[in-house]
Parts: sequence; structure tokens; C-alpha cells
Amino acid sequence: MKSYLSVFRMRWRMELQYRGAVVGGFFCQVFFGLILVALYRALYQSKPQAMPIASVTTYVWLQQAFFRMLLASDADLLDKIRSGSIAYDLCRPLNLYGYYYARILAQKLLGSLMRAAPMFIFAALLPAGWGLSAPVSLSALLVSVAGLLLGLCCVCALENITMAITMRTLDSRGVQAMLNLLMMTFSGNILPLTLFPDSWQKVITLLPYAQLLDAPIRLYTGEWPLSEAPRVLALQAAWTIALVGLGLLLWKRHQKKLVIQGG
Amino acid sequence: MPYITVENLDKHFIVRKKREKGLLRDKTVIQALQQVSFSVERGELVGYIGPNGAGKSTTVKILSGILTPDGGSVQVGGRVPWKERREHVRHIGVVFGQRSQLWWDVPILDSFSLLKEIYRVPENDYRRRLDALTDALQLGDFLRTPLRLLSLGQRMRAELCGSLLHGPELLFLDEPTIGLDAVSKLALRDFLKEENARNGTTVLLTTHDMEDIAALCPRVMVLGHGKKLYDGALPDLLSRYDTQRILTVRYDNGAVLPELPDSCVVTREAEDIKIVYAPDQMPTAQLISRLQSAGTIRELTAQPQNIDHLIAAMYREMDL
Repeated sequence: MKSYLSVFRMRWRMELQYRGAVVGGFFCQVFFGLILVALYRALYQSKPQAMPIASVTTYVWLQQAFFRMLLASDADLLDKIRSGSIAYDLCRPLNLYGYYYARILAQKLLGSLMRAAPMFIFAALLPAGWGLSAPVSLSALLVSVAGLLLGLCCVCALENITMAITMRTLDSRGVQAMLNLLMMTFSGNILPLTLFPDSWQKVITLLPYAQLLDAPIRLYTGEWPLSEAPRVLALQAAWTIALVGLGLLLWKRHQKKLVIQGG
Repeated sequence: MPYITVENLDKHFIVRKKREKGLLRDKTVIQALQQVSFSVERGELVGYIGPNGAGKSTTVKILSGILTPDGGSVQVGGRVPWKERREHVRHIGVVFGQRSQLWWDVPILDSFSLLKEIYRVPENDYRRRLDALTDALQLGDFLRTPLRLLSLGQRMRAELCGSLLHGPELLFLDEPTIGLDAVSKLALRDFLKEENARNGTTVLLTTHDMEDIAALCPRVMVLGHGKKLYDGALPDLLSRYDTQRILTVRYDNGAVLPELPDSCVVTREAEDIKIVYAPDQMPTAQLISRLQSAGTIRELTAQPQNIDHLIAAMYREMDL
């Protein structure tokens, strides 16, 4: 376990090297956030929805703040598989699934925290009806943080499955494009899941994509009361266990069939 | 009982080639290793050579537990590499000359301390080994520099240090001197010799640089088309192909070269006349006396045939 922690710390430190990317990412996310908020405000002016506008803008800003957690972005890892540098990782006395899981987790967590912190400040300073509102209660905040972490574990497991598939196909673009599309849509990044038809929501909030950001945000805004929290956390945990299990299985199978060509 | 035992190792790969017309692809089976057997004692320095695509790297990957063979048996220090991968790799070090194990964006010292954690090297041992390796490989100046800023020679030394931090019993070197300048190459060879002598590290060296092999490995194995073709001392192997000598001669002033038999190949480069001959057909003394009769010799050098030519001759004969 200590070894995996060191890998986590190392990836964490590496992330700190890319400060320029943080600034760039921040401005990009602010831009998208402002456009989305303006769009929903226009929408609400002509046809108000059941959900209050303040909840929608909060939803948008939290999505933007943790955007980095959504998409698969550790190109290094995919490169390793493509170029064969994975050979070195296979020479380590570690479980490769755990090794890569630690890396993905570190990158998503630190990468998004570095962007989220300035984003919170920025969004909190915006006028009412534009920005980020405070959580409905302290316990709601705590539960949503727990939900965010569990959701993150779930998404890392999902991404590690992409890695396992890449070990077979060598090209990750197809799988990744599909995963990213599903992710953008069903995580609520393009359109908050709360604005989907109710009948749709019954299904899509159960999918693993909704676990990362949608579920914790609903707990944060109080759309789901605290009494819902155990159910949400249990669902997240169940997805995490299932996806980690599937990932481990795929890794084990594909590792045996691995071919590393050339020198 | 030998440290490494390999018996009847088989491995094939499937390569798909696109047909000239249409979308279909043909499957070709490439037999990378066929019935390869050998054994290596603890503390041996073994060179593993053969032309590109002979199966050298495949062997190394199987021995290091990365690939699973189709057939045959392998034991390294009593373990089957691909079955007990995690326990096995704890005892080995690997350098793939074409790839990097250190982290690109962080100082190499950080990569080293990560390796320490991964291999669970006790702090004291780590300090001691790191100091020794820093000294021997002259890493002191750039321990705190990110890998991406290092030159190739510096990087290769750092890679080697990374592979030896946990004090492996067995070291696989896959083209460790590729692209290095003469000074770095010589330093690396000295270091490997010392590491082998001091710690009894078993080394399996794969390379195309025959000078490396000649300088380091008392024993070589030759692989071609996935089969083992030779296993023994390098001089013994070379003596079979080492039938020619080169004599370079320079005269004081434009002398006319005497008639030489067809077995001597003459080339001219400015004033130098280079004669490649076979001593058993044209004894050296006889050749020299003929050359002397043509004029006053200012310079005369005799050289053995270049080792790469010998290996090329060997590969040709073995039809590789």
C-alpha cells in the first residue's frame, strides 16, 4: 500500500509542475461557465423551470470547477502502452492495476483541486443568480465531499478499464471518444441532469457517470435531502466495487496476452 | 543448480499484413523463439547477440516476467518469472536502452526515491547504494535536474542507477550503450565490470555493439531466427571467421605496387594502400618482402579484421 501511496505522491508532484496548464484550464472553465450561466438565465427568463436558477448556476460552477476529473487525460499512460514503455512498469513488484489507479487518482484529484480553488473564489464573487451559492447545510457539504471522493474512485475505475482495453486495441481514441461523450452527457456537464425529463433522470442518475459530480452536487444544493445520502453513497460504493472488479479482471487477462514489439 | 535455466523455450507472435488490394489482412505467424535452451550460473556476464529480429528482446522479456511463452520452461533463481512476476522482479534490474523508466518532468532524485519505495529498500541501504552509484556513474551534478533536461549519456547513466538501486541479483541490459559517446561508453563498461565483480551481479547483455561484448562478456550466445546458434567464448567464435588481416602501407614516393595474387584485395585512399589478405594463402612475411621490393616504405600498419566484419561474415554464413 505504501508503494501505491508513493506513486500517488509522485504523480501529485508532477502535476504541480504544470502551473501554466492550471491557469489555462481555469480561464477556459470560467469562459464555459459564464456562457452556460448566461444561457440558462436566458432560458429561465422565457420559461422558468421547477429548479431555482441559483441551483442551476451552482450546478454549472461546481461542474466547471471539477471538470478535470471528468475526462480521461493522462496521455502518459496511454503512451506507455502504445510505445511499449509499459515494459518497465511490468518489471516492478506492484500490481499494475493499482499502480495506474494511484496515478490516475492523483492526477484527477490534484489537477482539479488546483483549478477548483480559484474557481470557487471567482464564482462566489459573482452577483446573486450568476454565481455559486453556499451549501444548504454543513452536513450537506460534508456528505457531498464524501460523495465527490467516492464518485472520483468510481471514475478512476472507469478510466482504468479504458487502459485495459487499450492494452488490447493499442489505440485508445475510439474507446476514449465514446467514453468522453458518455461522460460529458451523463455527468451533467453539457446539460445539468436536473433539467433532463423526470423519466430520464430515473435511469441516468443510476449510471456511473452521474456518480462523480451530479450526485454530490445534488446533495450540496439540497435537491436531495440528507435522508437520501446513504442511498447515494451506497450506490456510488457499489459502482466503484463493480468497476474496480471488472478492471482488475480485464487487466489480469490482457496482461497475459500483452505483446511488446521491437527492441 | 544453475541460476537461470531455460529449456525448449517457444514463443510466436501473430503479425497482420494488409493485402495489396481490398481490405482483408493476412495473418503471418512469426516464430520468435524456437526450442531455445541454455543455463547461466550466478555471477556470470553473458553477451546475447544476433541480428535484428532474432528474438533477443523476446528472451529478455520472458526472463523478466513480462511475456508469457507458448512452451518450454524457465527458472530464474528457483522461480518461474511470469508465474511469480511480482516476487521475481523484486530480484532483477532491467535497462531497456530505448525506453525510459524515470519520470520525465521531475528531478531524477525523486524518481529514485519512488523506486526506493516501490522496491521497499530500507533507508540505510538506499543511502549507501545511492552514494556508491552516484559516485561510480558520476551523477552528482544533475541529481536534482529533471530528466527531460539531461543529455543522452547522462540519462543512460541515470537509468542504470535506477535499475541497480534495489541491488538486483540479475541485471538485464538491452542495448545500454546505444547512442553513447566513447567516454561514456568506456565508463559504463568499467562500471558494469566492477558491479559484477563486487556484488556478484549476474548480467545478461543484449547489444549490437561488439566492442561492448568483447570488453565485458567472457561468454556469448548467438541467436538467429529464434534459434540458438552458438554458446561459448567470443574469441573461439571469432577465430572461425577471423581468416583475414589488413596491412596498410605508405611509400616515401610514388612506388608501383608489385603484382599480388587475386586473394589480396587492394584499395587506395590518398597515399595509403590497404591490402586485405588471408595469411594462410599469402604468408605475412612473404607479402611484406614483396612490398619492400617496390620501394622505401615509410609506414606500415597491420590490423586484425574489424569485429563487426567478422560478425557480419558469421551472420552471412549462418544465413541470417
